[in-house]
Amino acid sequence: MKKIGLVLLYCFILCLSAYFYSAHLHDSTAEAHQRLLPVKIRTVKPGTDEKELQQLVQNANRSGDILSIAGMQHSQGGQTVYPDGIMVDMKPYNQILEVDEDAKTVTVQSGATWADIQEAVNPYGLSLKVSQSQNIFTIGGSLSVNAHGLDIRHGGLSDTVLSMRVLTADGEIRNLSPTENKELFYAVIGGYGLFGIILDATFQLTEDELYVTETQSMDFRDYPAYFKEQVKAKPEAKMHLARLSIAPESLLEEMYAITYETAPDQSKLPEHKQLKTENLVAVPKFFLGLSRINDAGKETFWKTQKTYTEGIDGKLVSRNNVMRSDSEFMEYDNSRKTEVLQEYFVPVDEFESYIPELKAVLEAHPDFNLLNVTVRYVGQNDNAVLSYAKEDMFSLVLLINQGTDPESVADTREIVQEMIDVTLAHRGSYYLPYFGYPTKAQMQKAYPRTNEFFQLKDRYDPDHRFKNLFYEEYRP
Amino acid sequence: MNYKRFIYYQGTIGMASSMIFPFYILLIKNVGNSYAQFGWSYGLFALTAALCYPLIGKYADRVGDKTLLGVYSWGMAVLLLCFPLATEVYHVYILQVLMGVLGAVQKNSEKTVLARFVTKELAGTQIGRYHVWTSIAAAIAVIATGYLVDFLTIATIFYIASLVYAWSGMQLMKLKEVEAEI
Ligand SMILES: Cc1cc2nc3c(=O)[nH]c(=O)nc-3n(C[C@H](O)[C@H](O)[C@H](O)COP(=O)(O)OP(=O)(O)OC[C@H]3O[C@@H](n4cnc5c(N)ncnc54)[C@H](O)[C@@H]3O)c2cc1C
Repeated sequence: MKKIGLVLLYCFILCLSAYFYSAHLHDSTAEAHQRLLPVKIRTVKPGTDEKELQQLVQNANRSGDILSIAGMQHSQGGQTVYPDGIMVDMKPYNQILEVDEDAKTVTVQSGATWADIQEAVNPYGLSLKVSQSQNIFTIGGSLSVNAHGLDIRHGGLSDTVLSMRVLTADGEIRNLSPTENKELFYAVIGGYGLFGIILDATFQLTEDELYVTETQSMDFRDYPAYFKEQVKAKPEAKMHLARLSIAPESLLEEMYAITYETAPDQSKLPEHKQLKTENLVAVPKFFLGLSRINDAGKETFWKTQKTYTEGIDGKLVSRNNVMRSDSEFMEYDNSRKTEVLQEYFVPVDEFESYIPELKAVLEAHPDFNLLNVTVRYVGQNDNAVLSYAKEDMFSLVLLINQGTDPESVADTREIVQEMIDVTLAHRGSYYLPYFGYPTKAQMQKAYPRTNEFFQLKDRYDPDHRFKNLFYEEYRP
Repeated sequence: MNYKRFIYYQGTIGMASSMIFPFYILLIKNVGNSYAQFGWSYGLFALTAALCYPLIGKYADRVGDKTLLGVYSWGMAVLLLCFPLATEVYHVYILQVLMGVLGAVQKNSEKTVLARFVTKELAGTQIGRYHVWTSIAAAIAVIATGYLVDFLTIATIFYIASLVYAWSGMQLMKLKEVEAEI
């Protein structure tokens, strides 16, 4: 009797613990495990209210301190830190200020995450137009990198911002919008925290919808036509992504695509509307773990991904839920290795000739540990000064497992630079939030308005109050 | 409890504890980050253990080894369920203090059981053999867990270790008192 009681009590505590742990997991701000750039900053100042932030900038102007701005710090190239500087942590500055149901807008403080917005607008049946595939990022961090995601219908993130308020280096708060202080508006979007602190922003929203999942596997050569005819030309297709194989047998040959199309029958939306929380992370984490070890692991990972994708064909899912995909399983703890991302953009019409050349670079470096390649679409958009979508592009996100010792870093640098050269040769560009492997010349080529960007920086922040390692690396 | 069973039991809990101890540092790393904090957290563990030994020693003779080992197994099983929830350095400190108490219970009981079992003339051989098996179990656990951490979250490791402890606690309850067999 006593025995059963004890076992039951234990089971009860076990469930309790698991419950609280998973609850905590979902609102935790787990940091990216990025150990390539250990930087000693002097202090971290939490952003709590507007007056204090203003005071902080004014004090820094007096004392000559350098300020760097941080959201969730998922950027990987030191965009949020400066040696011996003061890091302004915007995470606590995260209130949802207003949801306007009729105008379909939301106004939020910049430390809020997409997840916070989703929770606030989902009850009204509203949804974001553009965000990253995951919802763990802050508004400030996302605007500052000019993020993009799965949506193929609403243009760039900058098109969805109606206005924002920015605390500039002179300690003043300015209203920015596509019509007011336009120049600064398009420098702050994709401005990597170099023009001031974004305080809050108002976004145009759209309606939450029920989507049906369409999946298809194919050879990479067929993908551009598939995308144009079966996705882009189909008005009901709203969101899209694809994956290229990383398994040695089918490396960058096989692909599968996932498209979310407006479901013909929207009456089931209420059943699917509830925001989902992260599923069991152990399963994908296990397969990703296999994939890290060796080629056989990669084959298994790819096969599992494909089977899983076939399994979701026809499934119904709400727009809001598509925009909160899992990322927890990517977390990786290893003292000598880390995982980094790279992202390349190539014009849709170059894709077919580009992929074999990219593959040649990878095959020339058999030790390069590539774990995932996701393909998405970004429509032409050159609003932002640092705009990567010079034409209609496919973007390729590469997840790379690498050592943290100087030699491994140098090896990865060499391969990344080669891959970027190939990308640039196809009129492509690359994404800036990641580790500073690319050269200055590569940045100039990928971003023709680089010089203008740094000139604007000098004009709006002549004392260089806001700096970070990205700035140090790439300024003229 | 016979001697073989005891070795088996120690092997099991040895596995569970070596699953968490070396990797436990990964958890602290997420929670705290200075060497001083590591120092404190292990220091507190050792210090509480030291303070507890006299008390535990006295109890050991009164309540019996089996009961104390049961307290240890079930105590650890429950305590490990709290680790995944630790988010502040002081949480880790509190857990370390409790681990210190339980650690002392285990160390003391391990020795008293051995003392009650081994025959003086063969003490060397017997204790040697005891260490071989418990060390092998521990080694296997550490190596296997090293791989597991790559696949699973740290929290999962704590849950698995907790289940192993609970299982060891259940095994104990099936056994008769040590005294009965001496
Ligand atoms: C696993 C993973 C997946 C990703 N997926 C995508 C994706 O699908 N699409 C995509 O576009 N990107 C993606 N990214 C990149 C990501 O969008 C950027 O790294 C983004 O900046 C992260 O947001 P954050 O809150 O962590 O910003 P941080 O890394 O904290 O900051 C990024 C930049 O923004 C500045 N900043 C932050 N807050 C403010 C503020 N309030 N005012 C002014 N400047 C500020 C910082 O100074 C810094 O320069 C991904 C990154 C990771 C690690």
